[in-house]
Amino acid sequence: MAELLVQTGLNALYAAAYMSLIAVGLVLIFGVMGIINFAHGELFMLGAYVVVALYADFQVPYVLVAALGLVFVGCVGVAMEWAMFRRLRDNPLGGLVASIGFLMILQALVSMGFGVRMAHVPPVTQEVIIFSERVRLPVQRLIVILAAIGFLTALWAFLTKTRFGWALRASAQDQEAAALQGISINQTAGIAMFIGASLAGIAGALTAPLISVNPHMGHSVIVAAFIVIIVGGVGSLEGAVLAAVIYAFVHTFVTTFADGVIADVVGLLLMLVVLIIKPTGLFGTADRA
Amino acid sequence: MLLEMKRASVNYGSVSAIRDISLAVPEGGIVTIIGGNGAGKTTTLRAISGLARVGAGEIHFNGERIDKLSVDKIVGRGIAHVPEGRRVFPDLTVEENLRTGAFLRRDKPAVEADLESVYGRFSRLRERRKQLAKTMSGGEQQMLAIGRALMSKPKLLLLDEPSMGLAPVIVEDIARIIEEIKGQGVPVVLVEQNAELALDLADYAYVLETGTLALEGPAAELHDNAHVRAAYLGV
Repeated sequence: MAELLVQTGLNALYAAAYMSLIAVGLVLIFGVMGIINFAHGELFMLGAYVVVALYADFQVPYVLVAALGLVFVGCVGVAMEWAMFRRLRDNPLGGLVASIGFLMILQALVSMGFGVRMAHVPPVTQEVIIFSERVRLPVQRLIVILAAIGFLTALWAFLTKTRFGWALRASAQDQEAAALQGISINQTAGIAMFIGASLAGIAGALTAPLISVNPHMGHSVIVAAFIVIIVGGVGSLEGAVLAAVIYAFVHTFVTTFADGVIADVVGLLLMLVVLIIKPTGLFGTADRA
Repeated sequence: MLLEMKRASVNYGSVSAIRDISLAVPEGGIVTIIGGNGAGKTTTLRAISGLARVGAGEIHFNGERIDKLSVDKIVGRGIAHVPEGRRVFPDLTVEENLRTGAFLRRDKPAVEADLESVYGRFSRLRERRKQLAKTMSGGEQQMLAIGRALMSKPKLLLLDEPSMGLAPVIVEDIARIIEEIKGQGVPVVLVEQNAELALDLADYAYVLETGTLALEGPAAELHDNAHVRAAYLGV
């Protein structure tokens, strides 16, 4: 039993890792631009398909592919900002609708290019760290966990130690006052989109060898990401990370000890309970919610 | 003239906020804009800093037309705007707020020196440098907002209702600070509902009424003007 708990804990840690990469990006984009990016799950999917295209089909070294996935999806994010969100800046509902449209376009393009069936990604490493007979951690999962810790730490350092980091937080808190300091909203929105999208992209690239890659894989993570954001408090990055960890542990444990459908229900219940007890989320403040 | 506004109008949708306002700010003085609620004082400042778009008329700063520039470009030209309600960044620390004010500056040693001089002027800010701005009192936040504006090393400072909601003793502090800023050669455009304070501090004054210019003149003269005394000074 103890071994099963430890193993489930490791599984949950892995789920929390990629979930927080996705949720933090979504929160960052919402904070700076006030736009709910429904296409965020598809950015995750694009990251996975970069691996399918370059690693599975052309055997480009995996590390290089992951880096390319990060940059490529980040650039898609910048393009989204420029082509859609910038033009709909005074119209958050329009931004949301545009992102839903873009989500469908991405799904259609990937389906046309790669087919709707699950894409096969050969394992990057078969190595497994064996703690005991029933406690094992595949190295690919360990990579995801370490990468998430690394990227989130880097993001934290960027936001708290650099002038563009201050600028991003300032425009998330008061866009007009930020403009009065000479901070261009076009610039901060572009940076927020690049970071948010590239984090979703790297999450997709890192998990591609471990999950079923298909054009509609964005769906499941976007629902989870929204639960995480609401639980954590809309607009709070640290809330998103903490809520991702809580959600991943709850979801993974319920999946293991009951089943996946019940786990989804429990996840939504978790969101409901938080909304009833603390409508602003665990870390949210009233004015952002 | 450092700043010249020529027959500027601003509309919000179909509502006219200011009409045909002309004003001038010389080097090194305090110009005040007084008037009641909704007279268009805040809109006038917002037009200068680019937050409100001028529908008709022109604004020139240092000989350059600026009314078509984006807000961040106007800030880059040397205009710092302390908005109504202070608008400090609530979840940034005091020091992060101040450094944000220097966002466009690349002269790092001079920024550090200016940070020291802001801390020298506002010792409360130095004591609270690591504290989040939202935990500070209204007077401290006003000082932070002014300090943040000074960090951009402005050629012109726009102050919107710096005395609003502050205790009289704090208002005196703010008045002293505004005079110090003038003493350092930075011209100030001061918008105030507290006309007494504004006319005491200013060299020249404009009176706005329902979006148009009603009166202008040297502050001392307006202070003795019968209409101003009756309408704004309550005597």
